[in-house]
Amino acid sequence: MPARNHTQWSANPPLETGEWVDSRIYSEQEIFEEENEKIFKHVWVPVCHESELPKPYDFRTTTIAREPIVICRGPDNEVRAFLNVCPHRGMLIERRPSGSFLEGQPSGNPKRITCMFHAWQFDMKGNCVYVAREKEGYQDRLCKENVGLRRLRCEVKFGGFVWVNLDDNPAQTVEEWCGEPFECLRESLNAEPLEVFHYHKAIVDTNYKLWHDTNSEFYHDFMHYHNRITGFNDAYFARKNFAYDNGHVVVGTFEVNYENYEGFESRAELSFPHLPPNQWYMVDLFPGFNFNLRGSALRCDIVTPLGPNKVMIEFRGLGLKRDTPEERMTRINHHNSIWGPFGRNLHEDLIGVAGQGATMGPGTEPRHILHGRHENETIHDEIGMRHYYGTWGQWMNRLPSEPDKPYTATAVAAE
Amino acid sequence: MQSNGHDQTAAVRDTIYRAALALDDQRWQDWLELCAPNFHYKITSFSPEINKDMIYLQGSRKEMDSLVRMLPKHNTDHSPLHRHTSVYTIDVSEDGKSAQAVSSVVFYQNMLDGNNSHIESGETRLFLAGRYVDTFAIEDGAAKFVDREVKLDNRRLDKGSHWPL
Ligand code: FES
Ligand SMILES: [Fe+2]
Repeated sequence: MPARNHTQWSANPPLETGEWVDSRIYSEQEIFEEENEKIFKHVWVPVCHESELPKPYDFRTTTIAREPIVICRGPDNEVRAFLNVCPHRGMLIERRPSGSFLEGQPSGNPKRITCMFHAWQFDMKGNCVYVAREKEGYQDRLCKENVGLRRLRCEVKFGGFVWVNLDDNPAQTVEEWCGEPFECLRESLNAEPLEVFHYHKAIVDTNYKLWHDTNSEFYHDFMHYHNRITGFNDAYFARKNFAYDNGHVVVGTFEVNYENYEGFESRAELSFPHLPPNQWYMVDLFPGFNFNLRGSALRCDIVTPLGPNKVMIEFRGLGLKRDTPEERMTRINHHNSIWGPFGRNLHEDLIGVAGQGATMGPGTEPRHILHGRHENETIHDEIGMRHYYGTWGQWMNRLPSEPDKPYTATAVAAE
Repeated sequence: MQSNGHDQTAAVRDTIYRAALALDDQRWQDWLELCAPNFHYKITSFSPEINKDMIYLQGSRKEMDSLVRMLPKHNTDHSPLHRHTSVYTIDVSEDGKSAQAVSSVVFYQNMLDGNNSHIESGETRLFLAGRYVDTFAIEDGAAKFVDREVKLDNRRLDKGSHWPL
């Protein structure tokens, strides 16, 4: 077809409902706010890894749906999560990204979570243990027992990731929420303790779902020279997408021929436990978390949506805690060569989603974003995105292809 | 030793600045010419988030040579990176055959692509900041890199880069 006029360009494509989405789901402030309320405040978010707080009194801070969170390890070794908000006058209690409460702070004692503002102090279970001049100011009207921290649901699961849910009564446990998609990696991740060796972040002007889409669709391997040369073979094209409840997707494994790219080597020797050599599994969890095991290194992407057209992506790389220095170095090199900030693929992936963000900013005209490839549910079939947006539509009660209308199940989304 | 030492620090400084220009101009082979056969390169950073020293990229001279020769196969942000380098200290060894230098370095991205080149091209943005920690072999009055560590302050790298820094 020749280039189209506006009417032709805006007409629905000759595909079934569910095989495209309206770009307003990536650009509208109202939809973004609703996603925070309806989705991010109710799902399990893998906020960090337990190896980031290895010792009692270690802590990490994070954010879900604009709510600041502190995660700490108690003297009983339990990892707990609290809102990082002081019950007195709303100060952000811990300002650093990580550290230890073992040392005293200018306003507070050792082994305490201290709000620097007026020196209220809390223990590792979130109990308030000190209010400055308590009796003098509050007499018998309010006491420490009334002003504990806000505790949050928190579980350590699937290779030591720390999962937090802002909802006090989540509909499912972490196991129920995503145990099935993790089945393919469960043995490999749980065989022995893992350790994070890589962290970096990107803040990109694009919608978080577009990053998740890129992680779950492999059709874009055409832009990765590395993947074309090491991957495009019969086994690659037979690689299957598997859809699970809750909008999760798993991309099945195949054997990668790393040697086909100059300067790369086989990863067979350092494969994760129980993983056949050079295999590659990908677990994509709704609404935006990705676990990617390429033989020797595990990558985990966590999105924090910052606006309809802005997302922070945190990238982690993990190996086995018991790695020798040589083994760890090899895993780091394997990780970096493709996935590092100076690796061959990550830069391309980020250019891709930033380019989408450039055409789908707030106020741009609605467009059709096509998810209509059917190839027997294999690697370039866009079933992963169709499945995801089916779930998104249900959580939001919006039809992804016509977001002003309430959700109705479509044959395609239900496949 | 005094006057020799002076010649050697001048040679080290000259190599650092020539490397800066070669990298600015994406003359990768000219950069590698300034490196000894046993050269090792790495980009590192410390993450307080995970409390770890990290390596973001590393390679031997041969690996860096492969990396730069494969660049045309990849899709890369076209916005050039330019650096401002200031050599802070140069310590020449007793025998005058090697030296260590620490430089401050700031990388600027002169936007060509950006997200929307119509709006962003022509603008210069701060990209990364850190230090070069370099080791040199000095022979016949010339200094060659045997080791370069680019110690970044950053953990937020946004789109990152395909290019050596
Ligand atoms: S705001 Fe925290 S002690 Fe006052
Ligand atoms: Fe990719």
